[in-house]
Amino acid sequence: MIELRNLTKSFRTPNGRKVLFKDVNAVFPEGKNIGILGRNGAGKSTLLRIMGGIDYPDYGRVITNERISWPMGLASGFQGSMTGRENAEFICGIHGIWGRSRQAVLDRVQDFAEIGDYFNAPVKNYSSGMRSRLAFGLSIAVDFDCYLVDEVMSVGDAHFKHKCEQVIAEKRKSAKFIIVAHAMPQLKKNCDVGIYLGPEGLQIFDTVEEAIELYQQGIPKPKVQQQNRAEQALKA
Amino acid sequence: MLKGNWFTVVQEKAAMGPTTSRTVWQIQRDVIFALLVREMKTRFGKLKLGYAWVLLEPAMHIIVLGTLFSFLGREFYPGIPTVLFMLAGIAPFLCFSHCFGKSMAAVDSNRGLFNYRQLRPFDAVMSRVLLEFAIYLISLIALLGLLAWVGISATFNNFLLLIAVNLLYLCFCFGMSLALCVAGAKYPEAGKFAPLIQRPLYFMSGVFFSLEQVPEQYHPYLAWNPLLHVIELTREGLFSSYHGMFANLPYLAFSSLAMLGFGLLVYRSQWRDLVRSK
Repeated sequence: MIELRNLTKSFRTPNGRKVLFKDVNAVFPEGKNIGILGRNGAGKSTLLRIMGGIDYPDYGRVITNERISWPMGLASGFQGSMTGRENAEFICGIHGIWGRSRQAVLDRVQDFAEIGDYFNAPVKNYSSGMRSRLAFGLSIAVDFDCYLVDEVMSVGDAHFKHKCEQVIAEKRKSAKFIIVAHAMPQLKKNCDVGIYLGPEGLQIFDTVEEAIELYQQGIPKPKVQQQNRAEQALKA
Repeated sequence: MLKGNWFTVVQEKAAMGPTTSRTVWQIQRDVIFALLVREMKTRFGKLKLGYAWVLLEPAMHIIVLGTLFSFLGREFYPGIPTVLFMLAGIAPFLCFSHCFGKSMAAVDSNRGLFNYRQLRPFDAVMSRVLLEFAIYLISLIALLGLLAWVGISATFNNFLLLIAVNLLYLCFCFGMSLALCVAGAKYPEAGKFAPLIQRPLYFMSGVFFSLEQVPEQYHPYLAWNPLLHVIELTREGLFSSYHGMFANLPYLAFSSLAMLGFGLLVYRSQWRDLVRSK
Protein backbone atom coordinates (compact mmCIF):
# COMPACT_ATOMS: atom_id res chain seq x y z
CA MET A 1 0.00 0.00 0.00
CA ILE A 2 1.21 3.48 -0.83
CA GLU A 3 -0.55 6.44 0.72
CA LEU A 4 -0.06 10.06 -0.27
CA ARG A 5 -0.99 12.53 2.42
CA ASN A 6 -1.29 16.28 1.74
CA LEU A 7 1.42 16.01 -0.86
CA THR A 8 2.52 19.38 -2.25
CA LYS A 9 5.41 20.06 -4.57
CA SER A 10 6.51 23.22 -6.33
CA PHE A 11 9.55 24.36 -8.24
CA ARG A 12 11.29 27.70 -8.08
CA THR A 13 11.35 29.59 -11.36
CA PRO A 14 12.46 33.16 -12.09
CA ASN A 15 8.77 34.13 -12.29
CA GLY A 16 7.79 32.75 -8.90
CA ARG A 17 6.88 29.29 -7.75
CA LYS A 18 5.37 26.81 -10.16
CA VAL A 19 3.09 24.42 -8.30
CA LEU A 20 3.16 20.89 -9.70
CA PHE A 21 0.50 19.50 -7.41
CA LYS A 22 -1.09 20.66 -4.19
CA ASP A 23 -2.57 18.82 -1.21
CA VAL A 24 -2.87 15.46 -2.92
CA ASN A 25 -4.47 12.71 -0.86
CA ALA A 26 -4.64 9.20 -2.26
CA VAL A 27 -4.36 5.57 -1.30
CA PHE A 28 -3.05 3.04 -3.78
CA PRO A 29 -4.02 -0.46 -2.71
CA GLU A 30 -1.57 -3.32 -2.75
CA GLY A 31 -0.87 -4.94 -6.08
CA LYS A 32 -2.07 -2.04 -8.25
CA ASN A 33 0.29 -0.97 -10.99
CA ILE A 34 0.33 2.78 -11.38
CA GLY A 35 0.88 4.67 -14.62
CA ILE A 36 1.82 8.34 -14.57
CA LEU A 37 1.03 10.53 -17.58
CA GLY A 38 1.56 14.14 -18.40
CA ARG A 39 3.35 16.46 -20.72
CA ASN A 40 7.03 17.26 -20.52
CA GLY A 41 7.84 19.21 -17.40
CA ALA A 42 4.56 18.40 -15.69
CA GLY A 43 6.41 16.71 -12.83
CA LYS A 44 5.98 13.02 -13.66
CA SER A 45 9.49 12.01 -12.75
CA THR A 46 9.41 14.16 -9.64
CA LEU A 47 6.22 12.47 -8.48
CA LEU A 48 7.75 9.07 -9.18
CA ARG A 49 10.84 9.94 -7.18
CA ILE A 50 8.81 11.34 -4.30
CA MET A 51 6.81 8.13 -4.15
CA GLY A 52 10.07 6.22 -4.13
CA GLY A 53 11.46 8.24 -1.22
CA ILE A 54 14.31 9.67 -3.29
CA ASP A 55 13.03 13.20 -3.57
CA TYR A 56 10.98 15.08 -0.99
CA PRO A 57 7.79 17.13 -1.27
CA ASP A 58 7.43 20.66 0.09
CA TYR A 59 4.77 19.44 2.49
CA GLY A 60 3.03 16.19 3.16
CA ARG A 61 4.15 12.61 3.38
CA VAL A 62 4.29 9.35 1.51
CA ILE A 63 3.41 6.45 3.77
CA THR A 64 4.23 2.94 2.66
CA ASN A 65 5.18 -0.46 3.97
CA GLU A 66 6.63 -1.66 0.70
CA ARG A 67 10.17 -2.08 -0.43
CA ILE A 68 10.47 0.35 -3.31
CA SER A 69 13.29 0.13 -5.83
CA TRP A 70 15.50 2.84 -7.20
CA PRO A 71 14.46 4.08 -10.68
CA MET A 72 14.93 1.09 -12.94
CA GLY A 73 17.84 1.13 -15.34
CA LEU A 74 19.40 4.15 -13.69
CA ALA A 75 23.11 4.38 -14.44
CA SER A 76 23.98 7.66 -12.70
CA GLY A 77 25.03 5.88 -9.52
CA PHE A 78 27.89 4.15 -11.29
CA GLN A 79 31.45 5.14 -10.51
CA GLY A 80 33.36 5.29 -13.79
CA SER A 81 36.70 4.20 -12.45
CA MET A 82 35.28 1.06 -10.83
CA THR A 83 34.50 -2.08 -12.78
CA GLY A 84 30.98 -3.23 -13.51
CA ARG A 85 31.44 -5.94 -10.92
CA GLU A 86 32.58 -3.50 -8.24
CA ASN A 87 29.64 -1.22 -8.95
CA ALA A 88 27.29 -4.15 -8.71
CA GLU A 89 28.92 -5.21 -5.45
CA PHE A 90 28.38 -1.74 -4.06
CA ILE A 91 24.69 -1.80 -4.89
CA CYS A 92 24.34 -5.24 -3.35
CA GLY A 93 26.13 -3.87 -0.29
CA ILE A 94 23.80 -0.97 0.35
CA HIS A 95 20.87 -3.34 -0.01
CA GLY A 96 22.30 -5.69 2.57
CA ILE A 97 23.20 -8.49 0.19
CA TRP A 98 26.52 -10.02 1.20
CA GLY A 99 28.36 -13.27 0.82
CA ARG A 100 26.88 -16.08 -1.18
CA SER A 101 23.64 -14.40 -2.17
CA ARG A 102 25.70 -11.51 -3.49
CA GLN A 103 27.66 -13.88 -5.69
CA ALA A 104 24.35 -15.22 -7.02
CA VAL A 105 23.16 -11.72 -7.84
CA LEU A 106 26.44 -10.85 -9.55
CA ASP A 107 26.35 -13.97 -11.70
CA ARG A 108 22.82 -13.19 -12.74
CA VAL A 109 23.62 -9.59 -13.58
CA GLN A 110 26.54 -10.68 -15.71
CA ASP A 111 24.40 -13.25 -17.50
CA PHE A 112 21.54 -10.90 -18.08
CA ALA A 113 23.50 -7.86 -19.17
CA GLU A 114 25.41 -9.97 -21.71
CA ILE A 115 28.51 -7.86 -21.40
CA GLY A 116 30.82 -10.82 -20.91
CA ASP A 117 34.33 -9.96 -19.83
CA TYR A 118 33.58 -6.27 -19.84
CA PHE A 119 31.95 -6.94 -16.49
CA ASN A 120 35.46 -6.76 -15.06
CA ALA A 121 36.42 -3.60 -16.94
CA PRO A 122 35.95 -0.04 -15.66
CA VAL A 123 32.48 1.31 -16.35
CA LYS A 124 33.90 4.43 -18.01
CA ASN A 125 35.02 2.23 -20.91
CA TYR A 126 31.48 0.96 -21.51
CA SER A 127 29.35 2.04 -24.42
CA SER A 128 26.09 3.67 -23.42
CA GLY A 129 24.20 0.53 -24.42
CA MET A 130 26.38 -1.65 -22.21
CA ARG A 131 25.99 0.79 -19.38
CA SER A 132 22.23 0.72 -19.49
CA ARG A 133 22.16 -3.05 -19.90
CA LEU A 134 24.23 -3.39 -16.76
CA ALA A 135 21.96 -0.93 -14.94
CA PHE A 136 18.85 -2.73 -16.08
CA GLY A 137 20.28 -6.11 -15.14
CA LEU A 138 21.03 -4.81 -11.67
CA SER A 139 17.56 -3.37 -11.13
CA ILE A 140 15.88 -6.67 -11.72
CA ALA A 141 18.47 -8.77 -9.93
CA VAL A 142 17.49 -7.21 -6.60
CA ASP A 143 13.99 -8.09 -5.48
CA PHE A 144 11.55 -5.38 -4.47
CA ASP A 145 7.82 -5.16 -3.86
CA CYS A 146 7.52 -2.22 -6.15
CA TYR A 147 9.66 -1.08 -9.06
CA LEU A 148 9.94 2.46 -10.35
CA VAL A 149 10.19 2.76 -14.12
CA ASP A 150 11.00 6.10 -15.68
CA GLU A 151 10.72 5.74 -19.46
CA VAL A 152 13.45 3.16 -19.73
CA MET A 153 11.45 0.07 -20.61
CA SER A 154 13.36 -0.09 -23.85
CA VAL A 155 17.13 -0.10 -23.64
CA GLY A 156 19.55 -1.71 -26.02
CA ASP A 157 18.86 -3.65 -29.20
CA ALA A 158 15.73 -5.55 -30.21
CA HIS A 159 16.96 -8.80 -28.71
CA PHE A 160 17.63 -7.22 -25.35
CA LYS A 161 14.35 -5.31 -25.44
CA HIS A 162 12.48 -8.55 -25.93
CA LYS A 163 14.32 -10.13 -23.02
CA CYS A 164 13.48 -7.16 -20.80
CA GLU A 165 9.81 -7.37 -21.65
CA GLN A 166 9.76 -11.05 -20.77
CA VAL A 167 11.45 -10.47 -17.44
CA ILE A 168 9.13 -7.60 -16.59
CA ALA A 169 6.12 -9.75 -17.42
CA GLU A 170 7.56 -12.38 -15.09
CA LYS A 171 8.22 -9.81 -12.37
CA ARG A 172 4.66 -8.52 -12.56
CA LYS A 173 3.47 -11.71 -10.94
CA SER A 174 5.33 -11.01 -7.72
CA ALA A 175 5.87 -7.26 -7.76
CA LYS A 176 4.13 -4.13 -8.92
CA PHE A 177 5.28 -1.25 -11.03
CA ILE A 178 4.97 2.51 -11.03
CA ILE A 179 5.55 3.61 -14.61
CA VAL A 180 6.19 6.95 -16.25
CA ALA A 181 5.90 6.64 -20.01
CA HIS A 182 4.74 8.35 -23.14
CA ALA A 183 4.06 5.11 -24.95
CA MET A 184 0.33 4.49 -24.47
CA PRO A 185 0.29 0.80 -25.44
CA GLN A 186 2.89 0.10 -22.80
CA LEU A 187 0.88 1.89 -20.14
CA LYS A 188 -2.33 0.12 -21.19
CA LYS A 189 -0.60 -3.22 -20.98
CA ASN A 190 1.12 -2.74 -17.64
CA CYS A 191 -0.97 -0.40 -15.50
CA ASP A 192 -4.19 -0.60 -13.49
CA VAL A 193 -4.41 2.88 -12.02
CA GLY A 194 -3.70 6.11 -13.90
CA ILE A 195 -2.39 9.42 -12.64
CA TYR A 196 -2.67 12.41 -14.95
CA LEU A 197 -0.50 15.42 -14.22
CA GLY A 198 -2.02 18.38 -15.99
CA PRO A 199 -1.78 22.14 -15.78
CA GLU A 200 -4.47 22.17 -13.09
CA GLY A 201 -2.75 19.66 -10.87
CA LEU A 202 -2.97 15.97 -10.31
CA GLN A 203 -5.90 13.69 -11.10
CA ILE A 204 -6.18 10.05 -10.19
CA PHE A 205 -8.28 7.55 -12.15
CA ASP A 206 -9.34 4.02 -11.32
CA THR A 207 -8.34 2.85 -14.77
CA VAL A 208 -5.41 3.94 -16.82
CA GLU A 209 -7.63 4.31 -19.91
CA GLU A 210 -9.42 7.32 -18.45
CA ALA A 211 -6.10 9.03 -17.77
CA ILE A 212 -4.93 8.26 -21.30
CA GLU A 213 -8.14 9.72 -22.70
CA LEU A 214 -7.67 12.93 -20.78
CA TYR A 215 -4.03 13.09 -21.79
CA GLN A 216 -4.88 12.68 -25.46
CA GLN A 217 -7.60 15.33 -25.38
CA GLY A 218 -4.90 17.95 -25.47
CA ILE A 219 -3.37 16.55 -28.65
CA PRO A 220 -4.86 17.57 -31.99
CA LYS A 221 -5.95 14.43 -33.87
CA PRO A 222 -3.95 14.79 -37.11
CA LYS A 223 -0.72 15.03 -35.15
CA VAL A 224 -1.45 11.73 -33.47
CA GLN A 225 -1.90 10.10 -36.83
CA GLN A 226 1.34 11.60 -38.01
CA GLN A 227 3.07 10.25 -34.96
CA ASN A 228 1.58 6.83 -35.56
CA ARG A 229 2.73 6.91 -39.14
CA ALA A 230 6.17 7.92 -38.07
CA GLU A 231 6.25 5.12 -35.54
CA GLN A 232 5.08 2.61 -38.11
CA ALA A 233 7.72 3.83 -40.49
CA LEU A 234 10.32 3.37 -37.81
CA LYS A 235 9.09 -0.10 -36.98
CA ALA A 236 9.09 -1.18 -40.62
CA MET B 1 20.13 -22.14 -21.73
CA LEU B 2 21.15 -18.82 -20.36
CA LYS B 3 17.64 -17.47 -20.58
CA GLY B 4 16.07 -20.47 -18.90
CA ASN B 5 18.49 -20.20 -16.06
CA TRP B 6 17.52 -16.61 -15.45
CA PHE B 7 13.79 -17.18 -15.46
CA THR B 8 13.83 -20.09 -13.05
CA VAL B 9 15.67 -17.93 -10.57
CA VAL B 10 13.18 -15.10 -10.94
CA GLN B 11 10.34 -17.53 -10.40
CA GLU B 12 11.88 -18.93 -7.28
CA LYS B 13 12.25 -15.41 -5.97
CA ALA B 14 15.36 -16.58 -4.23
CA ALA B 15 16.33 -14.66 -1.14
CA MET B 16 18.13 -11.98 -3.05
CA GLY B 17 16.19 -8.86 -2.26
CA PRO B 18 16.87 -6.47 0.56
CA THR B 19 15.50 -8.42 3.44
CA THR B 20 12.47 -6.75 4.97
CA SER B 21 13.76 -7.54 8.41
CA ARG B 22 16.74 -5.21 8.25
CA THR B 23 16.68 -2.84 11.19
CA VAL B 24 17.71 0.78 10.79
CA TRP B 25 21.06 -0.02 12.36
CA GLN B 26 21.66 -2.85 9.93
CA ILE B 27 20.81 -0.60 7.01
CA GLN B 28 23.15 2.07 8.35
CA ARG B 29 25.92 -0.48 8.79
CA ASP B 30 25.44 -1.95 5.31
CA VAL B 31 25.46 1.46 3.68
CA ILE B 32 28.52 2.73 5.55
CA PHE B 33 30.44 -0.44 4.89
CA ALA B 34 29.62 -0.48 1.18
CA LEU B 35 30.57 3.19 0.91
CA LEU B 36 33.87 2.61 2.68
CA VAL B 37 34.83 -0.13 0.24
CA ARG B 38 33.80 2.07 -2.66
CA GLU B 39 35.79 5.07 -1.39
CA MET B 40 38.90 2.95 -0.91
CA LYS B 41 38.65 1.62 -4.43
CA THR B 42 38.09 4.98 -6.06
CA ARG B 43 40.63 6.85 -3.94
CA PHE B 44 43.59 4.54 -4.27
CA GLY B 45 42.61 1.99 -6.87
CA LYS B 46 43.52 4.08 -9.88
CA LEU B 47 46.80 5.51 -8.56
CA LYS B 48 50.11 3.97 -9.57
CA LEU B 49 51.27 3.00 -6.11
CA GLY B 50 47.75 2.38 -4.87
CA TYR B 51 47.34 2.03 -1.16
CA ALA B 52 50.95 3.09 -0.52
CA TRP B 53 49.72 6.68 -0.83
CA VAL B 54 48.21 6.34 2.63
CA LEU B 55 51.77 6.54 3.92
CA LEU B 56 53.38 8.53 1.16
CA GLU B 57 51.38 11.71 1.59
CA PRO B 58 52.17 12.44 5.23
CA ALA B 59 55.68 11.13 4.62
CA MET B 60 56.25 13.72 1.92
CA HIS B 61 55.07 16.54 4.17
CA ILE B 62 57.35 15.37 6.94
CA ILE B 63 60.35 15.04 4.66
CA VAL B 64 59.87 18.61 3.41
CA LEU B 65 59.35 20.10 6.86
CA GLY B 66 61.98 17.86 8.43
CA THR B 67 64.72 18.82 5.97
CA LEU B 68 63.69 22.48 6.18
CA PHE B 69 63.99 22.59 9.93
CA SER B 70 67.02 20.37 10.21
CA PHE B 71 68.91 23.09 8.34
CA LEU B 72 68.30 25.21 11.41
CA GLY B 73 70.50 22.64 13.03
CA ARG B 74 68.90 22.34 16.41
CA GLU B 75 66.57 20.01 18.18
CA PHE B 76 63.11 21.49 18.08
CA TYR B 77 62.00 20.26 21.41
CA PRO B 78 64.46 18.91 23.95
CA GLY B 79 64.41 15.12 23.98
CA ILE B 80 62.29 14.64 20.85
CA PRO B 81 63.80 14.18 17.36
CA THR B 82 62.57 16.90 15.01
CA VAL B 83 61.07 14.42 12.56
CA LEU B 84 58.89 12.84 15.22
CA PHE B 85 57.85 16.25 16.46
CA MET B 86 56.71 17.17 12.94
CA LEU B 87 55.00 13.85 12.35
CA ALA B 88 52.81 14.23 15.42
CA GLY B 89 51.76 17.65 14.15
CA ILE B 90 51.35 16.92 10.46
CA ALA B 91 49.36 13.70 10.69
CA PRO B 92 46.38 15.11 12.64
CA PHE B 93 46.42 18.28 10.59
CA LEU B 94 46.30 16.41 7.28
CA CYS B 95 43.28 14.50 8.56
CA PHE B 96 41.59 17.77 9.44
CA SER B 97 42.37 19.36 6.10
CA HIS B 98 41.15 16.33 4.11
CA CYS B 99 37.90 16.22 6.08
CA PHE B 100 37.50 19.93 5.52
CA GLY B 101 37.94 19.83 1.77
CA LYS B 102 36.14 16.57 1.06
CA SER B 103 33.05 17.28 3.13
CA MET B 104 32.33 20.58 1.39
CA ALA B 105 31.92 18.74 -1.90
CA ALA B 106 30.26 15.70 -0.34
CA VAL B 107 26.77 16.46 -1.66
CA ASP B 108 27.72 17.46 -5.18
CA SER B 109 30.19 14.69 -5.82
CA ASN B 110 27.76 12.01 -4.63
CA ARG B 111 24.57 13.24 -6.34
CA GLY B 112 24.20 10.06 -8.33
CA LEU B 113 24.21 7.97 -5.20
CA PHE B 114 21.23 9.75 -3.68
CA ASN B 115 19.03 7.88 -6.13
CA TYR B 116 19.21 5.06 -3.63
CA ARG B 117 16.81 6.01 -0.93
CA GLN B 118 18.81 4.54 1.94
CA LEU B 119 21.87 6.58 1.03
CA ARG B 120 21.78 10.19 2.17
CA PRO B 121 24.48 12.87 2.56
CA PHE B 122 24.93 11.80 6.17
CA ASP B 123 26.28 8.44 5.04
CA ALA B 124 28.57 9.98 2.46
CA VAL B 125 30.05 12.32 5.05
CA MET B 126 30.32 9.65 7.71
CA SER B 127 32.12 7.18 5.48
CA ARG B 128 34.55 9.84 4.29
CA VAL B 129 35.38 10.98 7.80
CA LEU B 130 35.80 7.41 9.01
CA LEU B 131 38.10 6.62 6.11
CA GLU B 132 40.15 9.78 6.59
CA PHE B 133 40.48 9.03 10.25
CA ALA B 134 41.50 5.44 9.67
CA ILE B 135 44.10 6.60 7.14
CA TYR B 136 45.40 9.13 9.65
CA LEU B 137 45.79 6.58 12.43
CA ILE B 138 47.32 3.94 10.18
CA SER B 139 49.78 6.38 8.64
CA LEU B 140 50.76 7.75 12.04
CA ILE B 141 51.39 4.31 13.50
CA ALA B 142 53.17 3.00 10.41
CA LEU B 143 55.43 6.03 10.12
CA LEU B 144 56.26 5.93 13.83
CA GLY B 145 57.19 2.28 13.41
CA LEU B 146 59.19 2.98 10.28
CA LEU B 147 61.13 5.78 11.96
CA ALA B 148 61.77 3.65 15.04
CA TRP B 149 63.13 0.95 12.72
CA VAL B 150 65.71 3.36 11.30
CA GLY B 151 66.60 4.46 14.80
CA ILE B 152 64.58 7.63 15.33
CA SER B 153 62.43 7.08 18.37
CA ALA B 154 61.34 8.62 21.64
CA THR B 155 60.03 7.13 24.86
CA PHE B 156 56.29 6.48 24.73
CA ASN B 157 54.11 8.19 27.26
CA ASN B 158 50.38 7.69 27.68
CA PHE B 159 48.17 5.37 25.65
CA LEU B 160 44.89 6.27 27.38
CA LEU B 161 45.41 9.94 26.71
CA LEU B 162 45.92 9.17 23.02
CA ILE B 163 42.69 7.18 22.87
CA ALA B 164 40.75 9.97 24.59
CA VAL B 165 42.21 12.64 22.33
CA ASN B 166 41.53 10.67 19.16
CA LEU B 167 37.96 9.81 20.12
CA LEU B 168 37.29 13.47 20.75
CA TYR B 169 39.07 14.42 17.56
CA LEU B 170 36.89 12.00 15.59
CA CYS B 171 33.79 13.66 17.06
CA PHE B 172 35.23 17.04 16.14
CA CYS B 173 35.97 16.06 12.53
CA PHE B 174 32.59 14.43 12.09
CA GLY B 175 30.65 17.38 13.49
CA MET B 176 32.65 19.83 11.44
CA SER B 177 32.24 17.79 8.26
CA LEU B 178 28.48 17.54 8.69
CA ALA B 179 28.20 21.30 9.13
CA LEU B 180 30.51 21.93 6.19
CA CYS B 181 28.64 19.52 3.95
CA VAL B 182 25.46 21.53 4.57
CA ALA B 183 27.31 24.81 4.09
CA GLY B 184 28.98 23.62 0.89
CA ALA B 185 25.69 22.48 -0.60
CA LYS B 186 23.69 25.57 0.38
CA TYR B 187 26.32 28.16 -0.44
CA PRO B 188 28.64 26.97 -3.19
CA GLU B 189 30.68 30.14 -2.64
CA ALA B 190 31.80 28.66 0.67
CA GLY B 191 34.26 26.53 -1.29
CA LYS B 192 36.17 29.67 -2.22
CA PHE B 193 36.79 30.49 1.41
CA ALA B 194 37.99 27.03 2.34
CA PRO B 195 41.70 27.59 1.53
CA LEU B 196 41.43 30.99 3.16
CA ILE B 197 40.60 29.31 6.45
CA GLN B 198 42.77 26.26 6.06
CA ARG B 199 46.09 27.88 5.26
CA PRO B 200 46.36 30.16 8.28
CA LEU B 201 45.31 27.22 10.45
CA TYR B 202 48.34 25.33 9.19
CA PHE B 203 50.54 27.97 10.77
CA MET B 204 48.39 28.58 13.85
CA SER B 205 47.77 25.02 14.95
CA GLY B 206 51.24 24.17 16.14
CA VAL B 207 52.10 21.84 13.31
CA PHE B 208 55.73 22.92 13.59
CA PHE B 209 55.90 24.59 16.97
CA SER B 210 54.74 24.03 20.49
CA LEU B 211 52.69 26.57 22.39
CA GLU B 212 55.46 26.76 24.96
CA GLN B 213 57.76 28.27 22.36
CA VAL B 214 55.34 31.11 21.68
CA PRO B 215 55.52 34.22 23.90
CA GLU B 216 52.90 34.02 26.59
CA GLN B 217 51.13 37.20 25.53
CA TYR B 218 49.84 35.47 22.36
CA HIS B 219 48.45 32.44 24.16
CA PRO B 220 44.97 33.86 24.74
CA TYR B 221 44.51 34.13 20.96
CA LEU B 222 46.06 30.87 19.86
CA ALA B 223 44.56 28.73 22.60
CA TRP B 224 41.03 29.10 21.22
CA ASN B 225 41.93 26.77 18.40
CA PRO B 226 40.85 23.18 19.28
CA LEU B 227 43.20 21.82 16.63
CA LEU B 228 46.15 23.19 18.56
CA HIS B 229 45.02 21.26 21.61
CA VAL B 230 44.63 18.08 19.55
CA ILE B 231 48.20 18.36 18.28
CA GLU B 232 49.66 19.30 21.65
CA LEU B 233 47.86 16.47 23.41
CA THR B 234 48.81 13.96 20.71
CA ARG B 235 52.45 14.85 21.26
CA GLU B 236 52.00 14.63 24.98
CA GLY B 237 50.49 11.18 24.61
CA LEU B 238 53.22 10.00 22.27
CA PHE B 239 56.39 11.36 23.87
CA SER B 240 57.20 11.18 27.54
CA SER B 241 59.56 14.15 27.41
CA TYR B 242 56.83 16.39 25.98
CA HIS B 243 54.98 18.36 28.61
CA GLY B 244 52.21 20.11 26.71
CA MET B 245 51.99 22.58 29.54
CA PHE B 246 49.19 24.62 28.04
CA ALA B 247 47.18 21.90 26.38
CA ASN B 248 43.80 21.39 27.95
CA LEU B 249 41.88 18.14 27.61
CA PRO B 250 38.60 19.44 29.12
CA TYR B 251 38.59 22.30 26.63
CA LEU B 252 39.15 19.88 23.76
CA ALA B 253 36.36 17.65 25.08
CA PHE B 254 34.00 20.57 25.34
CA SER B 255 34.75 21.98 21.90
CA SER B 256 34.62 18.57 20.20
CA LEU B 257 31.27 17.63 21.68
CA ALA B 258 29.93 21.10 20.97
CA MET B 259 31.09 20.78 17.36
CA LEU B 260 29.49 17.34 17.05
CA GLY B 261 26.22 18.65 18.46
CA PHE B 262 26.33 21.68 16.19
CA GLY B 263 27.02 19.57 13.11
CA LEU B 264 24.23 17.13 13.90
CA LEU B 265 21.77 19.97 14.53
CA VAL B 266 22.66 21.78 11.32
CA TYR B 267 22.35 18.57 9.32
CA ARG B 268 19.11 17.60 11.02
CA SER B 269 17.52 20.92 10.20
CA GLN B 270 18.61 20.94 6.56
CA TRP B 271 19.08 17.40 5.30
CA ARG B 272 15.98 17.16 3.16
CA ASP B 273 16.90 20.37 1.40
CA LEU B 274 20.25 18.90 0.43
CA VAL B 275 18.72 16.23 -1.78
CA ARG B 276 15.37 17.86 -2.61
CA SER B 277 14.86 19.10 -6.15
CA LYS B 278 14.02 22.78 -6.20
